[in-house]
Amino acid sequence: MSYLRTNFPSVLGTFTDISIQQLLLLTNEKRQENGLPSLTINDNLSQAALSKASDMLGKDYWAHNSPDGTPPWVFIRGAGYNYIYAGENLARGFNNAPDVINAWMASEAHRKNMLSSNYQNVGFAVSTGKLSGEDTVLVVEFLGSTTYAPPAVAKEPEKPATVAVVPGSPATVAKIDTETLGAQKADSSKPKVIVANSLPQVKPLVNSQTLSLVSIRLIMFMFILAFILDMMIVERKKVIRFVGHNLDHLFLFSLVLLIIIILARGVII
Amino acid sequence: MHKKLKTHKGYYLSLLTILVLGLLLTFLATPDFILQVIIILVTIFFYVFWGILHHLLNHELTPRIMIEYMLIGLLGISILFFAHMGGLI
Repeated sequence: MSYLRTNFPSVLGTFTDISIQQLLLLTNEKRQENGLPSLTINDNLSQAALSKASDMLGKDYWAHNSPDGTPPWVFIRGAGYNYIYAGENLARGFNNAPDVINAWMASEAHRKNMLSSNYQNVGFAVSTGKLSGEDTVLVVEFLGSTTYAPPAVAKEPEKPATVAVVPGSPATVAKIDTETLGAQKADSSKPKVIVANSLPQVKPLVNSQTLSLVSIRLIMFMFILAFILDMMIVERKKVIRFVGHNLDHLFLFSLVLLIIIILARGVII
Repeated sequence: MHKKLKTHKGYYLSLLTILVLGLLLTFLATPDFILQVIIILVTIFFYVFWGILHHLLNHELTPRIMIEYMLIGLLGISILFFAHMGGLI
């Protein structure tokens, strides 16, 4: 497999059918279903998301904060997006955009992030690379706004000039104080609305991850089938055996197969 | 096989319970991967232990049987290990 991957990257490789356009479309569909305005792609947020994805792959971690304690907001600010509100959703191991969006929608904290009226902009990054030695697909979603959402302004009390991060949430939300609001508003007077850009990608003929997954399931099915056939033959031919607890092993292999099927789904944080 | 199932109904039911419980706990432990690994290893250990104990109490326990259960347990762990190393789970 590694020989094929190295020498014939167009035949075997890790690719994903997740497109930024599709993620944006599905996110906005969910927001519209819930009576919320659509989000617009912001190139600064997209750049921040790309930086975060590269940082995770480069430093080999899977978390909102990097191992040196860098929070996601550093990437957002670093990309020149002066947020009032910001949020981050992460996903890995998914093969298509609807699965990513559905997984986020199924999680209370991620759903809140996606359906927050505080956000006006969104930036996505879809990166493939190695995480803990595994080929994986990372999806980073940064949500943000550079102005106060009208309903939130009336309810928000004034707070000291510090960045506050809501702890304990898988998809954390950051908010800055009202004192810097003036500057943020000036910045946001011209919101950048651009079409999501994606780099041209060579799509290999066979997705190595899908191939591996199908192969391992096939092997498991073959094991299970072998146990069943062996059981049937021994029963019919009345063969005397000293070992061979096929039914027990059938149960165990079914468990292993189910674990592979269940855990093969992507993960979100 | 039907006779075997009837005779050792209690054993097979308890074995299924252990495995189903293991699967359920593995699912519930998401996204804590370390906890999932511990649950899977404990479940497979119980599978081996339960099989050996059953033979010790109800049949004649021979080294062959012990090796059979241990090898199958190891095979299960190996499959999951390589599936993880290959980035599948």
